[in-house]
Amino acid sequence: MPLDANSEQTDDTLLALFANGDRGAARLLTVRLTPRVLSLAQRMLGDRAEAEDVAQEAMLRLWKIAPDWRPGEAQVSTWLYRVASNLCTDRLRRRRSVGLDEAFGEGNEPEDFSPGVVRRMQDAERAAALKAALAQLPDRQRQAVVLRHLEGLSNPGIAEVMEIGVEAVESLIARGKRALASRLSGRRAELGLSDDT
Amino acid sequence: MTPEFDKTMDHDLEAFFQAARDESPDPSADLMARILADAYDVQDQHTAETILTAADPVVTTAPRGVMASILRAIGGWPALAGLATATVAGVWIGYNPPAVFDTLTLDLLDSSYGISMGSVYTDTEFLLTEG
Repeated sequence: MPLDANSEQTDDTLLALFANGDRGAARLLTVRLTPRVLSLAQRMLGDRAEAEDVAQEAMLRLWKIAPDWRPGEAQVSTWLYRVASNLCTDRLRRRRSVGLDEAFGEGNEPEDFSPGVVRRMQDAERAAALKAALAQLPDRQRQAVVLRHLEGLSNPGIAEVMEIGVEAVESLIARGKRALASRLSGRRAELGLSDDT
Repeated sequence: MTPEFDKTMDHDLEAFFQAARDESPDPSADLMARILADAYDVQDQHTAETILTAADPVVTTAPRGVMASILRAIGGWPALAGLATATVAGVWIGYNPPAVFDTLTLDLLDSSYGISMGSVYTDTEFLLTEG
């Protein structure tokens, strides 16, 4: 069956097909899910190479659980976010003795200066500033903020991923955002944020 | 924290979040290839395990152990049944031989050895006497 013909199928269906040896389902799930899990890992870890390792490991666990997957019990994407989050948390814990600056690096410098260079530079600087501020948050706050504001999950969805209540999620996000605002407030003008922005 | 402060904070943070969302990383071709290779490996492994599991009942239902080996060596249950029948028949014939065997035995002993069993018992009878 052509790959495009499967694009309307749910993750559950594709996972069942995968378990039956369907190569097309393997390709489609890889294309569909890898960017999401990589994005989460990169935002939590701030390191591309480590994020790729986490993405590969999380996807491998998905492949292995496919034959035992029970459709309808949980969303594949939620399960995958949970696995990736836990893998990231493990790595962040191992980093503790290394030190935050070394662990998270200096941030990515923009490499492409195509049209709109000022705006792009500003965006890149904002993203780098956010990354540095996120790196200083406690793991759970960072996880909740990333899932809510960068990955676009709902609070109940995050609660499922983090295996906590919705109120706890709201609390983590609120505390995380206050901490971020506090750390970023000194750079508002530098990063093009004024009262009339 | 005043509502005004929260509003400003949300506004500022959203600018940072938006910048970060726009930077969403695209997976490299190498990463996609590695993940897909893992997927195919797991599929192949699962298929092999399924085939082995399907073939397994023949192995698992076969009897095991020393007795099973002996049973296989003599040809299985039918052979064992035949052996048991022959054994029981042998014991029964020894305990209660058919009359035709008496004639046959006497004929053979008389003609081959010519020994009178009665004389042997007479000579040794004193050994069994008490006193």
